[in-house]
Formats: sequence, structure tokens, C-alpha cells
Amino acid sequence: MELANTLSQDGESRGGVLAHLERLETQVSRSRKKMEEPQSAQAEESALRTRIHELRRLRDKLRAEVKQHQASVKASTTNVESDQTLEITEQESLKRKRENVKAILQAYRFTGISGKLTSRGACVCISTAFEGNLLGSYFVDLVMRKPLQIHHHSIPVFIPLEEISAKYLQTNIQHFLFTLCEYLNAYSGRKYQADRLQSDFEAFLAGPLQRNSLCNLLSFTYKAEPEGQSFPFCARLLYKDLTTTLPTDVTVTYQGTDALSTTQEEQRAAHESLFFTKPLHQVFTSFARKGDKLDMSLVS
Amino acid sequence: MDSQLVEARALEAEITALRRACVEPPAPGEDTSRVRKSFREIYQADSEGWELSKDLRSHLGHLESELQFLSTLTGINIRHYSKKTEDLTSTEMTEKSIKKVLQRHRLSGNCHMITFQLEFQLLEIQNEESLSSVITDLSIIMEPTEYSELSEFVSRAEERRDLFMFFRSLHFFVEWCEYRKRTFKRFKEKYPEAVHLSEGASSSCMGIRNPSRPGFELVIVWRIQIDEEGKVLPKLDLLTKVPLQALELDKNGVIETAPLSFRTLLGVLGIEATLESLIKSLHTEASN
Repeated sequence: MELANTLSQDGESRGGVLAHLERLETQVSRSRKKMEEPQSAQAEESALRTRIHELRRLRDKLRAEVKQHQASVKASTTNVESDQTLEITEQESLKRKRENVKAILQAYRFTGISGKLTSRGACVCISTAFEGNLLGSYFVDLVMRKPLQIHHHSIPVFIPLEEISAKYLQTNIQHFLFTLCEYLNAYSGRKYQADRLQSDFEAFLAGPLQRNSLCNLLSFTYKAEPEGQSFPFCARLLYKDLTTTLPTDVTVTYQGTDALSTTQEEQRAAHESLFFTKPLHQVFTSFARKGDKLDMSLVS
Repeated sequence: MDSQLVEARALEAEITALRRACVEPPAPGEDTSRVRKSFREIYQADSEGWELSKDLRSHLGHLESELQFLSTLTGINIRHYSKKTEDLTSTEMTEKSIKKVLQRHRLSGNCHMITFQLEFQLLEIQNEESLSSVITDLSIIMEPTEYSELSEFVSRAEERRDLFMFFRSLHFFVEWCEYRKRTFKRFKEKYPEAVHLSEGASSSCMGIRNPSRPGFELVIVWRIQIDEEGKVLPKLDLLTKVPLQALELDKNGVIETAPLSFRTLLGVLGIEATLESLIKSLHTEASN
């Protein structure tokens, strides 16, 4: 302190020396420090440098790992998504296929023969039609055993099922079914004609239509003109061939006591040939159409 | 040194972050949740997803085997089918509880070697008591067209709108064609030198000759016809080709009456036995 104070008077000289000494002291310690520092600093620096180096390496390694990880997750994500879409599209296509197959199965009824598999074998359905009119269906339940058996069926009793199955069931089932088809369609057709005659052309019939259940023997008395003076004819139609809808035998006879005139005979013969060639109800439709013009020659 | 320290610190921070990222699944929100959801949906142990697929597949398999069965049962293979429905019910009809619907069907497939394409319209009228279904239009395209017998039959079926008759007759026609082919083939194999098939096994004619007696030939013409009612019947005829000298020698007029005798023989022996007897007669004919 004194020194400091005394410095101010002689100030600079005395302060100067001490100060100078102080300054030197500080300088030395600093330089000494500085002399020491680069060593540790250097050590520290190289240590740091190495550390950074390692950190960089580790970071790069981790970066690569993360990238890989991300990629694999992304891949599995897309796999899941595409699997999902694949599954959806697979389901869709399966559904579409199923609808398609179902539709074709339904379409088989238009061939006349359709059916489905059952636990025993199969149930076959035979459809019938006449002149485009879809009529009844019948079924045959088959048991797939050796020999093939009919478990039960809805075939009318007057159709010769036993005969047909004896001939074809074991050897050629297609032939069996199509033959049955023939018989059933022919029966349906004959029945249709007889029904139509009874319902639509009652006015032309002079008495009830006589028919058997197989509809292959029909007998009736009719007038070609319901209002007119024409004499009633008696018609007998026999369908010997059970697979046809047109008769094999036709007899048209006159029910009166007088002999027939030539025109009447012509008419009778014409009617006979008509019944041979045209379905029954169509014959009467043509009678109805002709009925517009009066046949004076029939008035006797 | 400071900058290096800073760099070191930054690297450390990055490394920590990267370490975290390696463990966690990545990125945000929606994608992840969607993925997670679909995983759940799909991989639920007995989840609907897989069950449906399994059921769907087995159901489809069952239906396909049923289709295969029908195809074998009928001999008719339907490959395509489509249907369009048009409701023609007027308000008047609805009041009377009458329903009128027009269906347009398209069907194609094959029966053995014959392919068909059908289009038809079905009119359905439903009233309180009954349902009536009528085929109002039918158009048929068939291939191959070489079977001339078929074209007439097709127009008749179209005219009559008789769909079932079409298929029935088609079946029987094909059955007869196959039988004829098999029979001709069998005879050709049994008597290779005597039997001559001009158009191969599918031809409608079979020639019988004796190679040691050129000039003589019996030709059997086997046609398969479909009549007005759709009935398929075989029609066989015999044609004779005989050298003039033989004709002159034929005092009993055997050659002349051959076609008629042939028909009689058919009635007695049936087709195969008749043909075989003819072949044998020409084949083993002693020199005359």
C-alpha cells in the first residue's frame, strides 16, 4: 500500500519497478502456462478429434441402420397393403366367379334338363314346354350307387318310366334322361292342346271332350261353325307314338243318318288331314277364322 | 477447439436420435394406423376375412363340381350365360296385381363338336292365380355348318320357339353322329382293304370294295335326319356300282333289288349286323 502511495509521488520510478516486476511475474506465469497449455490442449484437441471421428463413424453407421430399418418397414407396409388389396381383389374375383357359375347352373334349365347334387347322388329336373309356353317340370331323384337307382320321382304313372329306365338307365344315363324328356314334353304338349280345346273352343264342341290321363286318346264331337247349320262331326284322335304331339290315327266321322254330300265329304276329309298335321287348338283356330264366311252349300 | 466441441455435441445428439429411430417404427399418423388396422383385420385368428375366403373358395369349388356334373349328365356344355330383365308392368296392371316382365337371355356353349349361340326372350306374366312364361323370340347360331341337315332343323326350332326340342334333338343328333363315326371306324379297322371312307370317319358314306374285284362297289349312305317333330332318325341307303358285264349276267336282278333288300335286312338285323354282312359278302365272294 505504501508502495502504491509512494508510487504516486516518485511514482513512476518506484511504482515502475515493482509494477514492472509484477508484470514480469504475470508474464512468466502466463508464458509458463502457455508453455504447458499446448500440450494438454493438444492432447485434448487430439482426443476430441478422435472422439469426433468415432462419433462421425457411429453416426454414419446408425444412419445406415435407420435407413435400412425404414426401408424394411416400408416394404412390409407395402406388402401388407398389397396383400390386403390382393386379398380384396382375390375375394372379388372369387365372388364374381361364383356368381358366374351360379348363373350358368341356373341356365341349364333352358336345356330342359337341370339338377343338383345331393347327399345321395343327384336330383334331376326335367322341364317341359309346348310352342314356347313353359309348362310343368318333373324331377327324378337318383342314388349314385351301382346299380344306379331312382330314389323317388314325380313322373306321372302313365309315363313308361320303368321301361325307359330298364333300357337305358344303367348303360347310358344321357339317353335315359333325354328319352324321358321326350315323353314328358310330348305328354305336356298333348295335354296343353286338349286343355286349350276345352277352354278356348267350348263353343265348337257339341259335347264334352273325352280324354285319358296320358292325353293320347281324344274323342269329341264338334261343329266347324258353332252358329251355323253344319252337321257335327265326330273326331277320334289316337297318338300311338308317345313321343309326338301330333296324332298317328285320326278318324272323322259324320254323326247323322243322311249320307254326306260331296262337299261335306270333302270337308270331312280336309278336317281329317288337318288334325294329322296341325296341333288341335290350331285346327280350331283356323275353323274360327274360316267361320267368317258362310258356307251356303252346307245348308240343305 | 470450440467448433470441434460443438461438432462433437451435435454428433452425440444425432446419435442419440438415430438410436431412438432404430427401435421405433417410422413416420406418422394415418399410414401407420391403417397398416395396423388392416393387420388386425387380416390376421385375426379366425377373422371373417380368412374365413370368408375359405368359405368362398370351398363354395365355389362345390358349385364348379356341380357344373361339371351337369355338363357330363346332359352332354351339353354351357360356357356363357347372361340375362337382362325389363319390367313391363304398367300402373294399370299393378292395380290388378298383374306383373309383366320381359327377360332377354343369351346362352352359348357346345355339345361335342357342335357349338351353339342362343338368344331368346322370355315373357313372364304373373297374375293372382298363375304364372305364365312364354318364349317370344328365339334365334340360334350353330357351328359347324357342314351338317346341312341341321340348318333346316334350326329354322324350324326358331319358328316354333321350341328351345327344349332344340337341345333334345341336338343331343340325339350328336349321339347318332358319334355312333355312325364309331361304327364306320370299327369296320375300317376290321376290314381295312374292303372298307373305304371317302371323307374319313366323319363322312356319311362308307364304300365297300373287294380289291381283287375292281369295278364292284357298294356304297352305304347313312344320313341322320331330323323330322318335323324334332325326332332324329337314321336313314340308310345302299348304292351299287357294278360293271356292265356283271349287270348283264345278273339274271335274278339281285343288283336291282339290292337297295330294297338292304332296307329289309336293316329291319331284321339292325345297322351293324347288316353292314357287316354286306362287307363279308363282297369280301369273301368266290370268283364267279
